[in-house]
Amino acid sequence: MCMADTPSRGFLMPCALVPWGSPELGWGASSLVEPRPLPAEMVATQQEMMDAQLRLQLRDYCAHYLIRLLKCKRDSFPNILACKQERHDWDYCEHRDYVMRMKEFERERRLLQRKKRREKKAAELAKGQGPGEVDPKVAL
Amino acid sequence: MYTTMTVLTLTSLILPIITTFIKPNKKSLYPHYVKTTIASTFMISLFPTTLFMCTDQETIISNWHWTATQTLELSLSFKLDYFSMMFTPIALFVTWSIMEFSLWYMHSDPNINQFFKYLLIFLTTMLILVTANNLFQLFIGWEGVGIMSFLLIGWWYAREDANTAAIQAILYNRIGDIGFILALAWFLFHTNSWEPQQMLLLNTNSNLLPLAGLLLAAAGKSAQLGLHPWLPSAMEGPTPVSALLHSSTMVVAGVFLLIRFHPLTESNQSIQTLTLCLGAITTLFTAICALTQNDIKKIVAFSTSSQLGLMMVTIGINQPYLAFLHICTHAFFKAMLFMCSGSIIHNLNNEQDIRKMGGLFKTLPLTSTSLTIGSLALTGMPFLTGFYSKDLIIETANMSYTNAWALSMTLIATSLTSAYSTRLILLTLTNQPRFPTLTNINENNPTLLNPIKRLTIGSLLAGFLIINSIPPTSPSQTTIPLYLKLTALSITFLGFLTAFDLYLLTNKLKMKNTSHMFHFSNMLGFYPSTIHRTIPHASLLMSQNLASLLLDLAWLEKSMPKAISHHQISASITISSQKGMIKLYSLSLLIPLFLALLLIM
Repeated sequence: MCMADTPSRGFLMPCALVPWGSPELGWGASSLVEPRPLPAEMVATQQEMMDAQLRLQLRDYCAHYLIRLLKCKRDSFPNILACKQERHDWDYCEHRDYVMRMKEFERERRLLQRKKRREKKAAELAKGQGPGEVDPKVAL
Repeated sequence: MYTTMTVLTLTSLILPIITTFIKPNKKSLYPHYVKTTIASTFMISLFPTTLFMCTDQETIISNWHWTATQTLELSLSFKLDYFSMMFTPIALFVTWSIMEFSLWYMHSDPNINQFFKYLLIFLTTMLILVTANNLFQLFIGWEGVGIMSFLLIGWWYAREDANTAAIQAILYNRIGDIGFILALAWFLFHTNSWEPQQMLLLNTNSNLLPLAGLLLAAAGKSAQLGLHPWLPSAMEGPTPVSALLHSSTMVVAGVFLLIRFHPLTESNQSIQTLTLCLGAITTLFTAICALTQNDIKKIVAFSTSSQLGLMMVTIGINQPYLAFLHICTHAFFKAMLFMCSGSIIHNLNNEQDIRKMGGLFKTLPLTSTSLTIGSLALTGMPFLTGFYSKDLIIETANMSYTNAWALSMTLIATSLTSAYSTRLILLTLTNQPRFPTLTNINENNPTLLNPIKRLTIGSLLAGFLIINSIPPTSPSQTTIPLYLKLTALSITFLGFLTAFDLYLLTNKLKMKNTSHMFHFSNMLGFYPSTIHRTIPHASLLMSQNLASLLLDLAWLEKSMPKAISHHQISASITISSQKGMIKLYSLSLLIPLFLALLLIM
């Protein structure tokens, strides 16, 4: 799970809750990548997460599924084999969140690489090096 | 009710200890009384644990306000959180089984009552350590388990090896305690408190110094590389001691300490890297050492040390809850492995060399079955107890952004775990017997069988029950490629195949001289022989030179008294014409005087 060190808060917050573009995110700070599409909104409110006494590391975009899971486990106790569906929902939400984060990471990485290549090419052209443009008659 | 039953759990353990002081019990019923007390305490402890699993409600009990200085307040307080609530019933369950096993193992010992009292005191101090809500109380438990470890390792105090091992354990643990006291002092100085709530609240920028102290303490108590030789030496103690202290409870205290302080360690990258590397090196080194040991208890001891290294690796990758899960699952099968070893040793008339065992599958069926199940659980066989923690650890390590060397060492150690476990099973249980034929072997005693059966069921089911009962602590690694998912299983299988193949080959090959690598592993990396000889030799040499050269030679002879006298004598001989012939001088005075008197007369 992605963690960002937030000196002002003194604990680690999930990357998803840190404001987009802030330096704490590290790799996510470049302006090349726009904010993520849905699901990027919190369904569970801060009050709900506090009432459920969720651990800080688990307060992310899938917290509403976790609250449902915890409620189901409490209601179905002592049947430890119950709540499979709720567990699956939470796991699947975390999986989608992970896949989305990895896609964003990969996209930004490729964009940065492309930017670096373009800057390098522009620098070479400015110096007069590089392939340049060739007259079709000369090429033939 | 929740807090009441927890306090009842802790206080009911003290009653048998108090009765020995009020009414010294010399009867043979005392061990049974202790065993029954622990069994009932375990049953009682299940209630608060079940309530905790249902409600996930942490509690702090503050009983007695001890003292308050200007800046520090000390009180007897217990923290009933996830860690203490989960560990207490497991520790009690394992102790109950070991107590019942001790009824059979130690039945011929004349001081069996004292033995049970010592085990009970150890358990009490261990629970104090686990439930402590301030560092001072934790330190009391910490030192208590160390002292009881010393007393129990040196139980057979007439044996020199046992005494040496007990002193060794104390010394290595004391080196770790230096780190603990350093951390205590730092927290007192900077946070004015020894309570974790205040320490964690005030400590926003985690400093390396106290965390390094805690890491040193954990390395000493949990036998990490550099401070590890005491653990295999501790096998000199009785097998119940090895099963309880040196596999399930005491040795995990160091890891438990780091788990308690994980909010501080997880924000400090340096300490995490140190923990990861130390754990990885420990797990690999001790697994290599276990490959070439012939003493069955030492193999299990090195296996314990290797698993402790794995727990450190887990903390190093910022997964304290997984490390704790491994502590819980490891307790079951490791205690059972020790008890099976004890059963084999006792039945073979104290034979501990696996080269002189063999063919025990038919003669000790339950012990053999349990040993096999315990070894399979240790290696991470799917859906046994060890699988639920070990496999998760390997998967999480594979998916973490972590040191590749540490990960590689951990994977190699996992492979070696299955290798030495396979070797243990093959040499101990299979093939023809290599012990004297007239040995009376039987496992008919229920006090031997029942605890082994209980722990076997625990090794089969405990992991499944725990993982499905506990509240979710972190998102599971669902997004993992198949080849990484199967890493743990494949390298375990590879280790098993290699060991099995080598075992089959050794039946047919001619015995060769041992290689350098074998010698290195068999001599435990030459670490004990180097450290245990070099340092005392240097100290003795220094003290001898200080006494003889500095004091006697330099001070007495070369500089002060004798030098003065020597100089004076040589100076007087050189300067004066007197030769010191007193008799001649007196005669030359007296004879002329006499002659002069004669002449006058």
